[in-house]
Amino acid sequence: MFSSVLQERTRREVMKLSAAGVFGASLSGWMKVLANAAETPAAKPKHKSCILLWMEGGASHKDTFDLKPDSKGAGDFKPIATSAPGVQISEHLPKLAKLMHTGVIVRGMSTPEGAHGRAKYYGHTGYREGQGGITYPSLGAIASQELGSTTASVPNFVAIGGRSYGSGFLGPKHQPLQVQSPDKGVEDLKAIISEGQFNKRVGLLQEMESAFFKEYKADAITDHKTAYERAVKLMQSKEAKSFDLALEPAASRAKYGTGRFADGVLMARRLVEIGVPFIEVSLGGWDTHMDNFERVKKLSGEIDSPMSALITDLQERGLLDSTLIVWMGDFGRTPNINTKGAKPGRDHFPKAWSLAMFGGGIKGGQIIGKTDKEGAEVVERKTTAQDCLATFCDVLSIDHTKKNDTPTGRPITIVDKPNAFTKMIV
Amino acid sequence: MNLRRFFGLCTLAALVLTVAVGEGISADNPTKKEIKQAQKKAAELKKTADAKKAAEDAAKVAAAKPKPATPAGNPAFSKVAPPEPATPLKPALIGAANDTTAVARFIDAQILKKQIEEKITAAPLASDAEFLRRAYLDITGVIPTADQAKAFLASTETTKRAKLIDELLASTNYGRHQADIWMNLLIQKSSDNRRVDFSSMRPWLAGEFNANRPWNELVTEIVTASGDQEKNPAVGFYLSNTTVDKMTDDVCKVFLGLQLQCAQCHNHPFTGWRQTEYWSMAQFFMKVEVDGLGKDGKPGIIETNNVKRKKNPLPESAQTVSAKFLQAEEPKLDKTSPYRPSLAKWMTSQTNPFFAKAMVNRMWAELFGYGIVNPVDDMVGQNLPSHPDMLNALAADFAGNKYDLKQLIRAICNSDAYQRSSKPSAGNEKAAEWTFARMAMKVLSPEQIYDSISSVTGVEKAEGKQPMKGMNKGPTAGPRERFVNFFLSGAEQLSTVEYEAGIPQALKLMNSRFVGNPNIAKAYAKPGTKPADAIQQMYLATLSRMPTEAETKRLTEYLGKSSTNTDGYGDILWALLNSSEFALTR
Repeated sequence: MFSSVLQERTRREVMKLSAAGVFGASLSGWMKVLANAAETPAAKPKHKSCILLWMEGGASHKDTFDLKPDSKGAGDFKPIATSAPGVQISEHLPKLAKLMHTGVIVRGMSTPEGAHGRAKYYGHTGYREGQGGITYPSLGAIASQELGSTTASVPNFVAIGGRSYGSGFLGPKHQPLQVQSPDKGVEDLKAIISEGQFNKRVGLLQEMESAFFKEYKADAITDHKTAYERAVKLMQSKEAKSFDLALEPAASRAKYGTGRFADGVLMARRLVEIGVPFIEVSLGGWDTHMDNFERVKKLSGEIDSPMSALITDLQERGLLDSTLIVWMGDFGRTPNINTKGAKPGRDHFPKAWSLAMFGGGIKGGQIIGKTDKEGAEVVERKTTAQDCLATFCDVLSIDHTKKNDTPTGRPITIVDKPNAFTKMIV
Repeated sequence: MNLRRFFGLCTLAALVLTVAVGEGISADNPTKKEIKQAQKKAAELKKTADAKKAAEDAAKVAAAKPKPATPAGNPAFSKVAPPEPATPLKPALIGAANDTTAVARFIDAQILKKQIEEKITAAPLASDAEFLRRAYLDITGVIPTADQAKAFLASTETTKRAKLIDELLASTNYGRHQADIWMNLLIQKSSDNRRVDFSSMRPWLAGEFNANRPWNELVTEIVTASGDQEKNPAVGFYLSNTTVDKMTDDVCKVFLGLQLQCAQCHNHPFTGWRQTEYWSMAQFFMKVEVDGLGKDGKPGIIETNNVKRKKNPLPESAQTVSAKFLQAEEPKLDKTSPYRPSLAKWMTSQTNPFFAKAMVNRMWAELFGYGIVNPVDDMVGQNLPSHPDMLNALAADFAGNKYDLKQLIRAICNSDAYQRSSKPSAGNEKAAEWTFARMAMKVLSPEQIYDSISSVTGVEKAEGKQPMKGMNKGPTAGPRERFVNFFLSGAEQLSTVEYEAGIPQALKLMNSRFVGNPNIAKAYAKPGTKPADAIQQMYLATLSRMPTEAETKRLTEYLGKSSTNTDGYGDILWALLNSSEFALTR
């Protein structure tokens, strides 16, 4: 929130300055740190990918993954058995129920934020909004930095549907590529003229760029050229076709169902296939203060097919073990039913809620943590967002103890003091 | 605190200090005895030849378990000395009042002195074309129109550059441009204030800058702003910074050039600001109550003795200390009156050590790309001014001229230093930026890009989708704001000297109708227009210069090979608008 990017010392500048001896004999503080943190593009080994399915508004845990049929506010839904012994989920997720042996439910989520904005920020970054006057990077940006390739033709962090949380102090390089409507693909990815004419234009542009650089030789010109080269490369790449859902065989596409979320999940699979490290797909509407059951039933239907299709498709392609799927939201919803409106609803409830993980090589069929009879208190293994983010990092082989520097040189650990539950699931 | 890093930076004495501080570690790892032994060993080894390595090893044992930061502050940080008391400002005009020439000459003399010391040869003065586009963008935030460019380039008046500077300062775009900059500095969107519509603050700020309101008065108005937002748009600052710590942080950062925020929870580990110093400053905001941020609320600010802090609680780190100006006295505050006026008076006083320097430095950075101190909002400790005498003198002159902002800009822009070419030349190819041997290549801000493209295409609106409705039930953004947000891509501000845009921005500029609409080229290529004339007009409109003979020849040839005139002219205009020469200020 308080970055001073306008005048920050860039790495290049620091090295020039230290060469000119501005600071005298001893560079102290973070200047030297910046100078030493060279960005050597080491060859990255093949890495895992993460698909974050974000349930905007906070999904009711008692009506999805943590049903309490004997509780006071049990609600209308019945639990059903799943492919994982002893694990039961909502009857309105029947396809997913057949795949719970690949998944882990974390029922002990207990977090401090009950307002949407702050809860989403916390869930995505593991830090509280405004803490220390810094804008923290979301998991996607971290994955982009730690797993992504700087020379890939496709961006390392793609956000489909709603707005994701961005890269914070990690800077513009790790901002997500936003895809608002997956059925339309990436905005402005196609030229508005013929390919032939486009190539002519680009040729003309290249001539202008060379001439300008020859005279002025500034770094900014090179950086501008690089951004354009990558963009043109993306336009012309076969990888760009991954954004084109029309190329998916009809039968395959039908498995996912219709709608923006289904399209987004399908696009996420296609992007994993070309090695994109992090894709986030949002589904809104879970803020069911009123008319909880009708809406959650409908939403359950909206996630059941796409998530199942995703898991089975990845399995078939041998990609499930290397793809971590996270189903998560702002918080849970009240164990008791409110009768505020005409139809029964549930309100915000961060004290106890659930999230689910699939794939990534985790030992499926497990439940981590437990709530009480009402689904109101976590009685076993209270889990915070930090615990989860650290666990996700472990699964993705990201070192979450690593520190990144803010523009003013303050070191910030990727995840702050977590109690990960990785050992329980790998 | 990352001890590994600490080791790399400190002298051996400090190293031993770290070791000595490693007391009271939990019983899990080394015992107190082991620690004390290690400390003693480290102290002894200091005397020996290979002391450093051995002491490091001993210290590693002593410091085996990292210390969690305590709310009271890490004792290690207390050992860092507080910053040197800043010298009070002594207002002193460099020449007469509003003496542009004297100040410009002074700047040049100061810059030249250091260049001679560094054996650097400054670049020659910029060409008219270089100067023209630069002055327009730096002062008014937008490129000149083709006609404006042509007129300036054709003029033979010897004082045309000084005259242009005056004209630009008098144009309403000046205020608009400053408002863009200050809206970014003063207003931060967060989930707290997403429903608040801050847009009324922008024209208010623009008006104040255009009226050339003395900087001390404008800052006083912002810092002491109260009332309903409807009547007083200036309260926007507090509607954006809703907690006492945010208020303190931002006021110090943007108006005093000091980053105090780390000292909120503990003594600052590098600059040494005390936590008590932080909270002494924060006291001035303790009576501020922020209201009406919620749905159907009427946003407003009051100062009251019974502050309701339900939604904006004090942080855990809050200390109850007396109000005290930074490195200065404790004022006698009337408990029945607002506190902020007292702070504003001290901040903007003619002798305040920080205020004038901070604005001079900030304005310098806006014009040169780099400040005299960098970062511009961290003017302390190891961030040394490249030209301390010049900074002090300019600050004294600024105060002496009653904080006249336009005059400050006028004087700087009339210097040779501001008017140097950005092309590297003999004697300055490897010159460090701080020598200002040549002007830095600057990057256009998202606002400047939008306004400049609009100027060329004549299209104010970016075609596109309606803004997303959903969780953020705030005011809907217009096309300019959406474009700017898209380019900011989450950052609060982009660097003026590093090109930071990425693939999505390049795609938008290449493939959106905003830039690529084929009808735009038609306006430049009406039937009967000679290719050379049309090309010239396009260059003047986009790059604010005449095309060279070679460029005209090459592009005429290109037109000849194009299938249609529209295609050909469209390609040329497209390439110009996507070129780095367009996106940068040379």
